[in-house]
Parts: sequence; structure tokens; C-alpha cells
Amino acid sequence: MLPWSLQIATVCYPSFPQFDIGIGGGYNNRLFLGAIPIKAGCGKNMHLISGRARTLETAVGVLILFIMVATAVGIYFVQRDFNMARFGIASEQGSGGDFPPVGKAETYNTDNLYEKIDGKAPMYQEAGFVKLTTQRFAAKNNSELGFELYVYDMNNAKNAFSVYSRQKRADVIDLSDLGASAFGYVAGNAICISLGKNYIEMIGSAESNELVDWMKGIAKDLSAKFKPTDKDRITELGYFPTQGTVAGSWKLQIDNAFGFDGLTDAYSAQYKSGDKAVSIFFSKRKNADEAKTVAKNYYDFLITNSAKAVTVDSEILKSAGASIVDFYGAFEIVFPAGIFVGGVHEADNKQAAEKGAEVLIDQLKRVTGEIGG
Amino acid sequence: MADQNQNNLGRRQLLVRGAKAAASIAAAVGVARWLYDPKGPGAKNEEVSFLGTLAKGLPDFSVPRKDGQVISIVKGQDRSKTVSKAIELLGGIERFIKPGDVVVIKPNVGFATPPILGATTHPDVITAVVKLCYEKGKAKKVIVTDNSINDPASCFTISGISKAASAAGAGVIMPRDSYFSPLTLEGGSLIKDWPIYCAPFAKADKLIGIAPLKNHHRSAASMTMKNWYGLLGGRRNVFHQDINNIIAELAMLVKPTLVILDGTVTMMTNGPTGGSVSDLKKTNTMIASCDMVAADAFGSSLLNLKPADLPYLAIAEKAGVGTVDYESLKPLRAEVT
Repeated sequence: MLPWSLQIATVCYPSFPQFDIGIGGGYNNRLFLGAIPIKAGCGKNMHLISGRARTLETAVGVLILFIMVATAVGIYFVQRDFNMARFGIASEQGSGGDFPPVGKAETYNTDNLYEKIDGKAPMYQEAGFVKLTTQRFAAKNNSELGFELYVYDMNNAKNAFSVYSRQKRADVIDLSDLGASAFGYVAGNAICISLGKNYIEMIGSAESNELVDWMKGIAKDLSAKFKPTDKDRITELGYFPTQGTVAGSWKLQIDNAFGFDGLTDAYSAQYKSGDKAVSIFFSKRKNADEAKTVAKNYYDFLITNSAKAVTVDSEILKSAGASIVDFYGAFEIVFPAGIFVGGVHEADNKQAAEKGAEVLIDQLKRVTGEIGG
Repeated sequence: MADQNQNNLGRRQLLVRGAKAAASIAAAVGVARWLYDPKGPGAKNEEVSFLGTLAKGLPDFSVPRKDGQVISIVKGQDRSKTVSKAIELLGGIERFIKPGDVVVIKPNVGFATPPILGATTHPDVITAVVKLCYEKGKAKKVIVTDNSINDPASCFTISGISKAASAAGAGVIMPRDSYFSPLTLEGGSLIKDWPIYCAPFAKADKLIGIAPLKNHHRSAASMTMKNWYGLLGGRRNVFHQDINNIIAELAMLVKPTLVILDGTVTMMTNGPTGGSVSDLKKTNTMIASCDMVAADAFGSSLLNLKPADLPYLAIAEKAGVGTVDYESLKPLRAEVT
């Protein structure tokens, strides 16, 4: 008698195998998969098992075995997504520490990222977002003191640096001990890090030294865990002038820089000349011809959007073919320099803008000579 | 012998077993479905009676206009005092809430973040307004609700809004699928047969929107008009591609009694989530208004923006929702310490 068990019965065709999957029992003509026997037969004539049917039985049994293994592997990887131990956190810092995890980790993909961060989701998606994993932690002795960890998988280091740099707060304390290819800072109650392909935020529920110290410890653990390599290095940051560029002021806009969809991979930074600071930028193109085209298109874009052309005073800028416009009271400069499009964005002072542009032109031409193009 | 019987399994026996297996699976699925709660706790028993259904759009909750008492701007750090003063300048809560009214308050509870981050409506404002509605307005019932899409229970708890509302005597309603109805905005191009969170508003007499003042990555600012974005059901992120028009259409769809814009602390950068206190600036301003467009036009100045930087303001003004020129309304100003 077949024991009462889960049975999956297929519709019986005289010439098509039928399978019973049950727990326990020991019957003829069954392929055993651990405690799960699989039985094959042919409808009402299932006791007459031909050689062809046996071969088919074996093949289907192997197929089912493969599906089960694949399912188990799939479950493992999905569960792994929810396990913060892969970041070296829950196991090392979590249950045994002062701030154990609270609740389960959550993951979000491109389809449902908006459920977690709503209107900020497009910024991540446009920068190559793959997946977000979050986990809350709370103090053992005070459930209202805690933080939430956000790990954004941005696919590559450049994408991660882009969202990191675009959200970087003013007046922060830089974290300098995360490794050569990593960036990080403390901003009041929060710690933000660009670590390889991951952009990481730890958002504290209060401005607490105890909490920040704990989060700093996790930041160090994460940097040890992920170990960004040389390929994660953002080499373009080295193209800015060494003198005058404000360290840590870098920003990278992957797409649609300054509202112009033709300007991609645009790096910008604050450049200080005397007591004036301006925002300088560049974008590396395939070759010098493309750089000239993009520079002209960006200028046309500004003019189309009501910018007014302004006389160029600097001889260096004139010879470089630079253009200056007044865009609602701010000065914009754009020029081609070797394989780069460069310029100055939203400067209050025209003289400072021209000075910054002169230095950048010289630098970008030199870099073009070094890297070729 | 037993094996032989097994091998001679007949069609009838097979069908019986198949039926048993199917019944088992159906029973398991039925129990799972019965136990499954995709949205967590919804309305408590005592709030269920305030839910209803709407088929023809949201009711008009506005009160008659009084020239010279359309918008008030109060400076100060204490939210309880500034919001009370701002409402007092407009004629007091008695102008807006009548004895026996059912009042719905729609805060921004979009994120499970603590009040310190300024991403959600501050609980102190909720407390103050709920108390005013009960104590001076003699409201029958005050309900606090929002459609927090991600884990509403956490959003209401961590933001402090659930605790503040309950302590002041208000009921809290969290979203469930059944609270949405497809609505169409007449003359609208985006809100067409779209699920709108409306069950908690169906039996309400008055509606008060309370929003924090925030920078917003997509719309540049999130204030009283953007606060109605929370009423959208479905995959509302699709509207991020046409953010200005959807904000304007929501402002056309919802006709609140009063809106309150809390600019005590303004999220200047990295909105709408923020995350760091470094994103915040003390701007010590509370705005109460019967005109959402005017409130948001003034609010833009606290974000160092001009009304022209927010295209949805002009769209809403053109649609007759309100006026961008808030100074023409002669705002009532005060300062409290």
C-alpha cells in the first residue's frame, strides 16, 4: 500500500510516463532520490515497463535530480543575499557586539528600488545600479539608538564613485584608512563609502559618538572584506591639476552632465585660485575630433537655452578655441583640449573662471600627451 | 503480494490518490492565502468604520476662502507653538474644523527614518494639530494616514508618527490593497483609471496635509503639493518621468481644507531621503495655507530656489489650483519664541 504522501500525478497517456513522488516506501521500478522515490509507468499498463521506458525513466529521473540541485543552488544564492555575514558584519559585529542586527536584511533591485528610496531611485538607476541590500542594527541597551546599513551594488567602481561623489556632503570628516582605491567620510550621524563596485551608507538614528565609532569599525571591516584593487582606482581623478584642485571635491556624472545629454563621464572638482574657487570639469572622449564635436554641441546647447555669448579675454583660451557664455548670471566655459572636453561650470567670477580654464587646458593637453590620443 | 498490488494499481485508485493530492495542495494554498498579509496591520477595529469607497474622485474638503487669511508664515523653533500660531492667524482651527467633523491628516510618512533626518513629517506637528482638532475644533475623530509603500508599520513607527498620533488620540490607518480605488482626474493626462489611496478619505469631512520641506532629486522640491504623491498606488515610480505634471495633477485632484508646510528644518540636499544631518538647515519657519501653490512658492525660497525653478507651480496655477504670487495674498506673519 502506498503511504499517504505528497503525490504529483501527471495526466496519463498510454505512451507517456507517469511519476509519483512520495516519502518513504520501497517499490519496484523506482529511482530513489534520498527519501523520495520516483516511479515510472505507462498509464494503466504501468506494470509493463519496456526497455525504452526504463531509459526514459532514468533520463527523467536525472533531469529531476538536476532541477532539484539547481533549485537548491538558487535558494542558497537568494538566501545569501539576505545574509549580511557575506559582508563580514552579522557574524563578527552583529550578535556578539553592541549593535546586533534587527530584523531581516532586505534586498531591492531595479524594479522595486523606488519602494525604499522613492524619488532618489532614478539617480542610482541612471548610474548603473544593480542591487541594494539593507539591514538595521540597534543598540542592545537602547532600541532607539541604531543605524541602517545600505549596500548598493553599482556594478563597477566608477558607478559607485559617481553616486558617492554626487551625494557627498559639505563639511565632512574624510575617512582616510579605507584603502587606496576607496573613498569615505563621516557626516554627522552618517558614514558614506565608495568601495569597489559598492556604494555604502550607514545612517545613524542620532548624532552619537558611540554610534559613529561603531560604524567606523564596520567601515574598516567592510574595506578589509571587499579589498578594492587597482582596477577599482579612478585614474581620471589624477588628471586634475595637482596645484589648486580641492582634494575630495571631485564629482563624476556618468550621464547627462549639467543637463546636457551629450556630455557623459564628466568629472568635476573645485579649483582654487587665490581666494576664488570655481568648478572645473572634463570628459575624456574617443579622440580629439569627438572632443571638438562635443564641445561645440555643449556650447550650442547652452545658447539654445538662453545663454549669451561673452567675449573671451584670455589669449590661451582664444587659441584653444574656448567659448564663454553668461548663463543666467553664471559663467560657463567650454573648450576641446586633446582628447578631452573641458570647461568651467557656474562660475560667479569671469576672471577666476578664465584662470581655472587656462590651468585645466594646459593640464589636459599634457595628460593627452601622456596617455596618447 | 503487496508489491504486486502496487504494480496493478488501477485507474480508480490512481484517480482517488490524485484527488487526495490535489485536495492537500489546494488546502495548503488556501491556508497560506488566508494567512498571507502583504501590507501588515491595517486599520484597527475602531477605525474601520471610518473607511469607505469612492468612485467619482475625492470629495472637496476646502472651506470658503477669506481674503487676507489665506496664508500665514510664522518664524520660530518650537513646532508646537509655530503651527498653532500659524493656524490661529488664519482664523483658528475653528474656522476649518466643526464640532463632530471626521478629520483626516495626511503627513509624509514615505520612509522608515527617524525624525532627526527630516525626511518625514515631524511628530511634534502631528501632535499639535491633532490636539487642536480635538480640543478647539471638537472633532469627532482624527485619523492619520499615508500610503507608505515600503513596510508601512516600520515607517509609521520609526518616524515617530504612530506614537505621536496615538498619544494625541488620533487613529492611525496604514495602507492595504483594498483601500485603493481607480480614479480619473477630469482633464488630466496622467491620472486616468489609476489606483488612488482613498478609502480613509471617503467618510472624512476635512483633510489636512502636513509636509516637511525637502529638496527632491527629481522635482527639485518636495512640499505640500508633492505630499499628495503618497496617494498614488500601483507602480507610482513611473510618474517620476513626468514629475511636474503628476504633482500638478495631484494638486488638482486633492482639495484639502488646509495644508501645513514645516520649514523648521529644511532638507537642502540629497532629498527626498537625505540621510545625514549635514543635509539639513535650520530655517525656523512654519507655513499654514489654504492655497497649496502659494505655500510651495514661498517654501521654494527656503530651498534657495525661485518659483520658476519648480515648473509644477506654474502648471498648477494655470489649472486654477492657486497662485504663485504668494505676496499678493498678503501673508500673515508672526514670530514666536
